[in-house]
Amino acid sequence: MAKRLVPILAMILVIMALYVFMLAVAELPPYGNVDNPAHNYVYEHYVNNALEETGVLNIVTAIILDYRSYDTLIEATVLFTSIMAVLITLKKGEQH
Amino acid sequence: MELTIGAKLLNNYPFLGSLIIFGIGCYTVLSNSNLLKKLLGINIMESSIFLFYVATGNIRGGVPPIVDLAQPEALYINPLPTGLMLTGIVVSISVTGFALALIIKLYRFYGTMDANEIFEIRNEGKNNGSSS
Repeated sequence: MAKRLVPILAMILVIMALYVFMLAVAELPPYGNVDNPAHNYVYEHYVNNALEETGVLNIVTAIILDYRSYDTLIEATVLFTSIMAVLITLKKGEQH
Repeated sequence: MELTIGAKLLNNYPFLGSLIIFGIGCYTVLSNSNLLKKLLGINIMESSIFLFYVATGNIRGGVPPIVDLAQPEALYINPLPTGLMLTGIVVSISVTGFALALIIKLYRFYGTMDANEIFEIRNEGKNNGSSS
């Protein structure tokens, strides 16, 4: 009986949450507008100076491998940590 | 002039689409008791967040942010959200891998991947332990 109710309750909960999010999306800056606050001085700097400062034609590559290279380097640590966690979790040996 | 909420939503249709995908993922997580399906729901939610973030960086009439020396005055779309979401994808892959490992461990221990059945098995174990 209680298990039958779970999908209905989940649907009601999700629809209520989506309604709130929808009100927030309606107040967001218009999609694709040049004057959006997302396209601020950082965007200007990257687009105007990436070629001179890094010599890379692809600006996304310039950002992830030059301006934010420490971020990309430490991503390897994230992957390493997750691989270690998986290996420790699946370690054979002591059986409980 | 003031737009209605519906017109604003239609103007922001990529955000609205990512919201709907988020809702599908959230409903999948909440309504399924199979742990693998819950993990699929979490991945759908992550994809919707990536869509939302990448759509934030778009500019109407812009070109992809690859410098074309022939057209120095082209309007490039914002490359920053795309670069940030690459980091997000790595994190999502790590979380997915670890969750899969945990599910394998649970399956080996309890013999089932269903969250409700796992709770029942745990409760039986507790009751037996208290009575004996």
